[in-house]
Amino acid sequence: MKNLERFGFPAFIVVMAILPNLLNSRWQAVAITFLIFTVVALSQDIILGKAGMFNMGQALFFGMGAYITAILNSQYGWPMLATIPVAIILPAIFGVLLAGPIVHLRGDYLLVTTIGFNIVFVQVVQNNLGGVTGGPNGIFGLDSISIFGTQLTSQISVYYFAFAVLLLTLFVMRNLEKSKAGRALHYLREDQLAAESIGINTRIYKIFAFALGAGIAGLAGTVFATQYSAVSPEAFEFIQSVLFFSIVLVGGSSIPGILIGVFVMFVLPEIFREFATWRFFIFGFAMILAMILRPRGIWPASFGKIPKFLIKESNHGA
Amino acid sequence: MDIFLQQLANGLTIGSMFALVALGYTMVYGVMKLINFAHGDMVAASAFVGLTIYTQVLGQATSLVAVIAIFLLAAVAMACVGILLERLAYRPLREAPRLSAVVSALGASLVIQNGIMLIWGPQMRIFPELVPQVYWDFGGVVISLIQVIILVLSLILMIALYLFVEKTRMGAAIRASAIDQDAARLMGINVNNVIALIFVIGSSLGAVGGLFIGLYYRGITFNMGWQYGLYAFIAAILGGIGNIPGAMLGGMLLGLFQAFIAGYVSSTWADAFTFILLILILIVRPTGLLGERVAEKV
Repeated sequence: MKNLERFGFPAFIVVMAILPNLLNSRWQAVAITFLIFTVVALSQDIILGKAGMFNMGQALFFGMGAYITAILNSQYGWPMLATIPVAIILPAIFGVLLAGPIVHLRGDYLLVTTIGFNIVFVQVVQNNLGGVTGGPNGIFGLDSISIFGTQLTSQISVYYFAFAVLLLTLFVMRNLEKSKAGRALHYLREDQLAAESIGINTRIYKIFAFALGAGIAGLAGTVFATQYSAVSPEAFEFIQSVLFFSIVLVGGSSIPGILIGVFVMFVLPEIFREFATWRFFIFGFAMILAMILRPRGIWPASFGKIPKFLIKESNHGA
Repeated sequence: MDIFLQQLANGLTIGSMFALVALGYTMVYGVMKLINFAHGDMVAASAFVGLTIYTQVLGQATSLVAVIAIFLLAAVAMACVGILLERLAYRPLREAPRLSAVVSALGASLVIQNGIMLIWGPQMRIFPELVPQVYWDFGGVVISLIQVIILVLSLILMIALYLFVEKTRMGAAIRASAIDQDAARLMGINVNNVIALIFVIGSSLGAVGGLFIGLYYRGITFNMGWQYGLYAFIAAILGGIGNIPGAMLGGMLLGLFQAFIAGYVSSTWADAFTFILLILILIVRPTGLLGERVAEKV
C-alpha cells in the first residue's frame, strides 16, 4: 500500500492534469465537481479526521466562501479572483468564532451543534438577511475569472483553477502532517488527556484546525461559485455536510480514501444516471457495510513513520 | 393574551410529539451512547405505514377500532424495523470506534428515508383525517379535538414508560445497562435483550409520534424525518440526554419555545432560534436541565 501511494500519487496528478483535454464538456463539468468536492472533503478531514472533532457542518464554510464571492462580485463589482482572500479569511474567522465556545464539547454534542450552525446558515441566506443573499433563488450571473484582463470563460480554465486549488490543498495537508501542528492534532485526537499533560494546548490546536478547515472550504466555495457562476442555498444544505462527514470516515481519513469516497458519492451517480433515485438508498447500505467490514475506513490513514509494533490498537474519538 | 394562550396550546401539542420521539433517542443514547440518526426516519416511515394501512388494509374506514388498529399495527411494524436496524447496523459495531457507528447510523437513515421515497414516491402525501374536525372556541383560543387527543395520549404513554422504567425489574435492567454495561452483565442482565427492548419501546413510541405528526400536520413527506428527528434530539439534549423524564420535559419546552417563536417572531426563523437555544444550553449547562451524570466529561 505504501508503494501504491508513492507511485499512485504522482500518477494521479499527471492524469488529472491532462484529463480535461480528453473529456467532452459534460464530463468536464463532472470532473470540476469532483475536484471541488475533493477539496471540501479534505478540509473536512482536517477537522474531523486529523483533529478528531465531530464536525457535521462543513457545508456551512463551503457555502460561506461561495456566498462571499458571489456577494462581493454581484453587489460590489469585485473581480472573482480578488474575492479569494476574503472567501478564505472570513470563513476562517467564523470557524474560530463558532468553534471557540464549543470545541470543549464531547463529540456528539459538537456534532449536533455544528449541524445547527449549518441549518442556521441556510436559513439566514434563505430569508435574505441584509438583502444581499438573494433569498431562496440565490445569486446568479456572476463574472468569470480574469487574469491580466483576459476573461477565462472556458470550462477548461475553470477546471485548471479548481485543479490548482486542489494542489494547494494537498500541499497544505502534506505540510500539516509533517509540522508541529499536525503532530499535535494527531496526538490530541489519539488521547487528549495525554496531549494536554505534555503541554499541548489542545484548545488552541482544535480551534486552529477549525480555522484551517473552514478557510480551505471557503476557497472551494469560490471555485464552486465560479463553476456555476451562481450560488443558491440548497447546494449548502446540511445533507451535503452529512455526505462530507461520511466520505471522510468511510474513506478512512486518508487522501486515497477520500478520493475514492468523493468519486463514489459524486461521480458514480453521473455515470449511472438511470439509478439516480436509488442513489442514496444504495449509499446508505454501502455506508453500513463499509463500517461493519472496515470500521476504520476503506483506506485507513497511517501517520508518520511509527514502527508497527509501537502502535496500539485504540478507539478513536471519545 | 389570546396569542399567548393559543400558542401555549399549540406548543403543548407539538411538544408532546417531540417528547415521544425524543424518548427513542434518549433511551438508545443512554444505553449505547449512540445518536440513532435513523430514528427520525422511522418516525416518518410510521406515518407512511399508517397511511397504507388505512387505504389498503382497512379500506378507508374511520371507526374508533380502525384508528386503534392503525396505531397498533404501525407501532408493531416500527418495532420490527427497530430490532432489524439494531441487529444489522448497530450490533456489529458495538466494539468499533464511536464514529463508525455514527456513520452506520447515517447510512441506516439514508436507507430508510430513501426506502420511503422509493415506495411512496417523492411528492407530499396527505394523511387521512382519522379524527373528526371538532373545535372548541374559548374566547378566541381555539383548541381542536386532535390536540387534546395528542396531549392526553402522549401523557399516558410517557407516564406508563416512566413507571415501567422506574418500578419494574425490566426497567431496572434498562437503568443498570445505561449506567454500566459490563457491571450489568456481571449482575446477570442480558444487555443484548435490554438493547433490543429499548429499540422496541423507542421505535413504537416514535411510531405513535409519527402518526401524530401525520394527524396534526396532514402533509407528510419522505424526508420529514430529519427535521422532526433533529428537533426531538435537541429536546433530548435540552432535558439531559439519557434521562427519560428529561426527554419529556425537553420535548414540552422545545414545543412551547417553537410555538412562541412562531407566534411572536416568525416561523421562518424557527430553526435558527431553536439551534441558538441549543447552543446556549450547551454552553451554559451542557448536561441539560435534568442531566446529572457528571462522571463523563461533556
